[in-house]
Amino acid sequence: MTGVAAPARLDVRADACPMTWVKTRIALGRLAAGDRLEVLLSPGEAAESVPRSAAEDGHRVVALDDLGPAEGVRLVLEKADGGEAAWP
Amino acid sequence: MALTDDQVARFSRQLLVPGFGEAVQERLLSARVRVVGADGPATAALVALVQAGIGRIWVDDEGYVAPADRQGWIYAPDSVGSPRAAAAREALSPLSRHTVVEPYPAGGVPDAALVFASSAAQGIAMGEVARKAGIPHVMVEPDAEGGAVVSIPVGAPCFSCARSVAGVGRPPVAGIAGLSALAAAELLHLLAQPVGMTGRRIDVVRGVPTTHPTARSPGCACAQPAVPPSLDEGG
Repeated sequence: MTGVAAPARLDVRADACPMTWVKTRIALGRLAAGDRLEVLLSPGEAAESVPRSAAEDGHRVVALDDLGPAEGVRLVLEKADGGEAAWP
Repeated sequence: MALTDDQVARFSRQLLVPGFGEAVQERLLSARVRVVGADGPATAALVALVQAGIGRIWVDDEGYVAPADRQGWIYAPDSVGSPRAAAAREALSPLSRHTVVEPYPAGGVPDAALVFASSAAQGIAMGEVARKAGIPHVMVEPDAEGGAVVSIPVGAPCFSCARSVAGVGRPPVAGIAGLSALAAAELLHLLAQPVGMTGRRIDVVRGVPTTHPTARSPGCACAQPAVPPSLDEGG
């Protein structure tokens, strides 16, 4: 899936786990439900774990594009409705 | 105000906990928490509050470090005999540059309170001060089997309604650090989710927790809206 517009952008290619997901989660927290976030990730672990963690939090993975070894991976997320899960 | 990169790195694991997030962490960093009682049983909670990023912790204890306090987590041998509030500040301040620890300033208005009362009378008095101030508070009741933690969000049944009939005691039982840390977690819970919380009591018997909703005693004054008084009362 390509060509999806994403108004907010985050580059975590210089970060390692868990900061990749921490920064993505914070960026999502600043958006309204339905807004989209484009995240640039390094290939490998981050490209696998960040989309999975986002989906587990209820966000929609709109696009996941391999841009090549130099550019990494482009992930587009759509923020879920509702707030964060509450504590028990 | 967004978290700084330093704060994001410092609290990264906590930011991943369900119910947490940037807004909650900012709330914790701007919160002032009054901790009543700082002897051994309170020390695990004090450490937990510092590590969680509470912005300002006011230690309300006019006593002195006793040899028995060294069963806790923070008091060094050479601190015995020194004022507890100052000794707690000295021990806790190096743990995080994001938290200010200081003795409770007379008239200080906290956002929440955590009470390790040294007697039933002090517990009831401090609970009433917090209720009238309209702030969430958590009360700790150690006993020989473990104890209880009572969470009292604003408007919930008061400590007098929810406390143990056995009253507050503080024997040096195994597991007190767990009860203490549980109390800190409950306070963080109340700060993280200030709206829509209900009162609850967690009884811990030999390490096994059981949670109950608290209920208001018929005719208790806590059914009336709080009118903030001076916070120096009962200290």
